[in-house]
Amino acid sequence: MTDALEIQRVEYAYSRDVALRGVSLGVDAGEIVAVTGPSGCGKSTLVHCAAGILRPQAGTVTLAGRNLAELTEAERTRVRRTQVGIVLQFGQLVPDLSLKDNVALPLLLEGHHAAAARRAALGWLERVGVAEDSEALPSELSGGQNQRAAVARALVTGPAVVFADEPTGSLDSRAGEQMMELLVASARDGGAALVIVTHDNLIAAYADREVRLRDGVVQHEVRLS
Amino acid sequence: MATAELVLGLLSAGPAHGYDVKRGHDSWFPDSRPLAFGQVYTTLGRLERDELVEVVDRASEGGPERTVYALTAKGRERLARWLAEPIEPAPGGVDEMVRKVVATIRTGEDASAYLARQRAIYLHRIRELKSAEAGGDSSSWLVRDYVALHLDADLRWLDRALDRITEQKETNR
Ligand SMILES: Nc1ncnc2c1ncn2[C@@H]1O[C@H](COP(=O)(O)OP(=O)(O)OP(=O)(O)O)[C@@H](O)[C@H]1O
Ligand SMILES: [Mg+2]
Repeated sequence: MTDALEIQRVEYAYSRDVALRGVSLGVDAGEIVAVTGPSGCGKSTLVHCAAGILRPQAGTVTLAGRNLAELTEAERTRVRRTQVGIVLQFGQLVPDLSLKDNVALPLLLEGHHAAAARRAALGWLERVGVAEDSEALPSELSGGQNQRAAVARALVTGPAVVFADEPTGSLDSRAGEQMMELLVASARDGGAALVIVTHDNLIAAYADREVRLRDGVVQHEVRLS
Repeated sequence: MATAELVLGLLSAGPAHGYDVKRGHDSWFPDSRPLAFGQVYTTLGRLERDELVEVVDRASEGGPERTVYALTAKGRERLARWLAEPIEPAPGGVDEMVRKVVATIRTGEDASAYLARQRAIYLHRIRELKSAEAGGDSSSWLVRDYVALHLDADLRWLDRALDRITEQKETNR
């Protein structure tokens, strides 16, 4: 079995701050990993490097068997679109598209037929429990409903890994846990590994493994399952 | 531990044997230590003496498990008073984990490896509590939430302790 994600000695520096100082992390297919650590320790930067959004200055990222550094820009975009799902704190849906079109978008960008893309989108909206709002705009729905649609959008392409950066950060603790349960169930359902960034111990406890960063390095790794 | 008042609560639904009281307790608190039979009967005996419960039926063969107890009016009153009364916050007792961390700092040991192990155990326990929740009945989630949130508080304290230790080390350098 190949790993869904293999990060090796990744370094990343912004113009003023060094955010990652050689981080290594492997994620098995279907595994749930919580990335925790204090503010500014590099969690989001790590996720952005792993998802192919940022290019690390050193080290390698291998996603679904492809070493991102060895790909052309077009190939990298393709891997990012098909193998990566992303869920952020506030859903981040396109404001003037319906939920259904938001979820269909990653498939449309990949050249799927519109009808097939919308059908798949509706299927995922059903699985996350907001099918009856599929024609609504994000602004007409609650934060929690938007988050559900964001989960559907992250999984619609059948990615190898879903990255969720503080997906429960804007929800109260009960809603946050329900969101986490949905993410875990959806990732399992879609056969994706889940990398979840969180400050919240009660959320991290859902993971199979915790990787804790401090100041750009892995402070510790513990198995929970 | 307010075992006496809890037993009154367990009898509030109607007369019961000591055995029913024990079973009721264990289903209210599935993750706690089961209530011992001996404790049930001594508690019922004391409650009877204080006229908070009364014996309403005693089968001919005798033996405590044949005895059926019921709340008296006085017992009902005591129960209501206990349920209404708020609890004082626990005095700032320091448990073993705190002692360990303080001792680690004072002896100049590295606390981070200990922290990792402690986190793993606590997160694992929270995870167990959560997976039990799915099958949990009526009120047992209340107890599980209580335990999980307290473990979370301990974990946050550990994080802060470690952060401060690390900062101190960095400024002393
Ligand atoms: N776009 C950026 N430009 C410049 N510096 C950045 C940028 N994003 C992050 N940094 C810096 O990189 C370091 C790591 O930031 P990062 O956002 O990865 O941390 P984080 O662990 O996600 O924090 P938080 O928990 O607050 O979200 C910090 O010092 C931060 O100031
Ligand atoms: Mg961040």
